[in-house]
Amino acid sequence: MDGSYNNYNSFGGGGGGGFMPGETNSPAGGKTFDRDNKTLRPVTVKQVLDASQPFPEAPFQVDGADVANVLFMGQVRNISSQSTNVTYKIDDGTGEIEVKKWVDSTTADNMDTDDGKAPGDGKTELELNGYARVFGSIKSFGNKRYIGAHSVRPLSNINELHTHLLEATAVHLFFTRGPPGGAAPGGNAGGDAVMGGADDYGSGQNKALASMSLVAKKIYNLLKTEPQDDTGLHMQVIASKLNMPATEVARAGEELLGAGVIFSTMDEQTWAILEY
Amino acid sequence: MSLQTPRILPSHLHAFHPSGSSSNTVRILGTVTALHGSTGTLTCGNNGDVTLILKSDARLQVGKLVEVVGKVADLEGGQGYGLRVLGSTEWGDPADCDYKIYENVVNATHKFKTIFYE
Repeated sequence: MDGSYNNYNSFGGGGGGGFMPGETNSPAGGKTFDRDNKTLRPVTVKQVLDASQPFPEAPFQVDGADVANVLFMGQVRNISSQSTNVTYKIDDGTGEIEVKKWVDSTTADNMDTDDGKAPGDGKTELELNGYARVFGSIKSFGNKRYIGAHSVRPLSNINELHTHLLEATAVHLFFTRGPPGGAAPGGNAGGDAVMGGADDYGSGQNKALASMSLVAKKIYNLLKTEPQDDTGLHMQVIASKLNMPATEVARAGEELLGAGVIFSTMDEQTWAILEY
Repeated sequence: MSLQTPRILPSHLHAFHPSGSSSNTVRILGTVTALHGSTGTLTCGNNGDVTLILKSDARLQVGKLVEVVGKVADLEGGQGYGLRVLGSTEWGDPADCDYKIYENVVNATHKFKTIFYE
């Protein structure tokens, strides 16, 4: 009795360590939230102004996706230095927003390289009507929306400004239309079409897919395009849709499961695409 | 609603003419190629020129890349459209800028208006 209990215990520990394919979905599920909250989205000021909040205190959403940190670039239209913070008015041509950078006098002379200047002059080389690169989180005070900035730095290369706008577009399209290549049937090898900020997600999976068997790619595409609920598709359904023997589908499924591209849901034979 | 300044190329000037319904303040990027007193010429890559109507305190320099925010206006003598300069930002050497990227930005911003202008 005692022995079997211990046995069970150690086995369970092993499973939690990630050796059982069935277990993989739960740690990944936890990570999804975490990851989302650490993303840095390239946006336009207009997107920030248009960002919605499902309920007070909830994270802001842009294109229906939670957004923690945003990155944008624009011209500094006003600088106002106070004892505790510096407020900038940033205009990127799509709108205007206030950006507050808190002055932390205790850390002003440490390794914080971007504003290691003397405390008080939070202006750090930023000029009126010059361009700035801002990242921070969306905040609201009363009805007014502003950015709590982590960093406000001068921008000197115009290409950076332009590529940012293209990146913001790419990420917007990613959230509204899905990953690039999704529209083209059989475009699973379209990793090179991935652009801008979307590549972290897209190319990772596409890279993993590229080295896989044809059957695995077919299954991935089917899972991606076939209408389904949260639980994904059963192996038998996939086999019949692809007109393939179940054994072959099972083998390719193992391949996909092993690479962490898909995960099993209700049981070992029901799979869905692992999106994060 | 705050002021929006769509990024454009010379061929889009007509769409922002004061007679139209949309706002006529725009942003355009180019190299200053000539200055004649109260007017100047801005060359926008391979996309043609724009005549700038300058303010008296304008400090433009020939040969520099500048981003101009201005209002679309009629030129004197019916010579088409020009841009009345409201402000300009100097970006230095035109060689440091890949104008192709700007062209793509203009295309993208007008194609996906919802996140840029509307």
